Amino acid sequence: MKKVKVILGISWAFIGLVVIIIMFPGSGVFSEKLAGMSFMKINPRLTGGDVAYKTTMQACTLVVHKPVFDGLFGDRKSGFVQVDWRGKVAEKISDTIDFDHDMKPDFFVMINTKNDSVIFTPFNRKVKGIAISTSTSYGWTIRTGLDK
Amino acid sequence: MDKVLTSSINGKSPGKSFLYTLPMFLISFMFISGGRPTFTDPAQTAALLTVFLGMNVLYFLMHYTGKTDKYRAVLFIVFALSLSFTLIKNMIEIRHSMSFSQADLVECKIPFCHLVIPMLILPAAFTKSIIFPGTILGSFASISSMIVLWLLATLVMGRGFCSWGCFYGGWDDGFSRLRKRKLIRKVGDAWKWMPFAVLFMVSLTAALTFIPTYCDWICPFKTVTEFEKVTGVESAAKAAVFISLFAGLVVALPVMTKKRTQCSFLCPLGAISTLSNKITPFVVKIDKGVCTDCMKCADVCPMYAITPEGVRSGSVSMFCSKCGKCVDNCTKNAVHFGIRGVPAGTMKNFSRNLFLFVSFLFMAVFSSGTIIFTLKSFYSLIF
Repeated sequence: MKKVKVILGISWAFIGLVVIIIMFPGSGVFSEKLAGMSFMKINPRLTGGDVAYKTTMQACTLVVHKPVFDGLFGDRKSGFVQVDWRGKVAEKISDTIDFDHDMKPDFFVMINTKNDSVIFTPFNRKVKGIAISTSTSYGWTIRTGLDK
Repeated sequence: MDKVLTSSINGKSPGKSFLYTLPMFLISFMFISGGRPTFTDPAQTAALLTVFLGMNVLYFLMHYTGKTDKYRAVLFIVFALSLSFTLIKNMIEIRHSMSFSQADLVECKIPFCHLVIPMLILPAAFTKSIIFPGTILGSFASISSMIVLWLLATLVMGRGFCSWGCFYGGWDDGFSRLRKRKLIRKVGDAWKWMPFAVLFMVSLTAALTFIPTYCDWICPFKTVTEFEKVTGVESAAKAAVFISLFAGLVVALPVMTKKRTQCSFLCPLGAISTLSNKITPFVVKIDKGVCTDCMKCADVCPMYAITPEGVRSGSVSMFCSKCGKCVDNCTKNAVHFGIRGVPAGTMKNFSRNLFLFVSFLFMAVFSSGTIIFTLKSFYSLIF
């Protein structure tokens, strides 16, 4: 029994040696395999969620995301909706957003991109205030609080 | 036989040490240079050669002197300092600041570090998604590549990752070496279970809030890497927590206790690595045939892994990070690197050589990129 343990232990140690030697040259392949797994995607709470629709404007594209309510065991009562202005953003952005595509405006937003000031008017009782309004590498992004 | 073993553990002849270093020399050169080195940029070439030669000199000295810890610590501490330098330099070049903005969060551009891994497990299981605003693949410190490296290294080295791979551990390891004598001799043994409590707490809160709470509120190493831009009371409170924990657990307590207190009392990833020590092939053993119960090993252990009771029963606890400090300080060669299943006191030299090769190769290759980048930056300034 002792001999078997010794042989198993030494074999395990040599497997460890092989693992370390192939780890670095193989890390690209292993990382790609791991990245391909179903759970390896960033949660919509962080990415802003899938895109609902895009509207091409004069200098930029308006991108409205689907509302995000993700929770650990299902949807939460409150979430947010993200809107991006991608491209060359004007000094003043002013748009009326219909995020649920029901042909009724849900909120109006006016942003002064020079001084970050925001005027926000909700038309839908589920829409709460602005949670995030920030310039990004692709233009400007806002997230507005939302009740389910 | 005992005499032969004792002399070989204490060190080898220069020729024999060189022969042991040769495989490391060749393999590390292949990995560090990428197999096809280009010598067009003088600063890059000088940095690469300095790092490559420096690492192999350290590995040679491990064999020549028979000591492990002090040579490991040199590379480990340099790695920690270089990582902070690399990260800060990158951020200042890209963002002109050490802090990240709301835009970086929205665009998921935060570099990933292994300390986040414990907080990803529950959300990944329940929601099939990752709750970290980074990139999955293909960028600096992507989530996928960091998980792969940590997972494989931990499978082989267990908590040895904390002493041979973790690019934060070098900070408190370094501070724990500053004083010759301890100012605080006794710290309650129960504190070493604290990382499990932190692990439980941050896993649960991260799963409920979808925010990696340890990174967001606790991580002391935010002080030397990146942190949220201070824009209000909440972000100011967070910054105060990061700086206080860094000053207390990474600087002050390690200096006073000569122990790695952040790693021992706080790190949630350390708790997982501790559990992995139960299955890894490499362990530290106590040969009760020659042990005199002098307790030197328990005294010097920086992770509270060796207790007087453990020494008396001839066992090293799962908290061991395989740094080699106890091995180096044992005057009777009773404490030694071993292989699971192999009885204590046997195959000491073989076990040490195999463990050193595996762990040093990992540290050398893992750290080389950041150390080369740091050296190159300095060389570019000088020349």
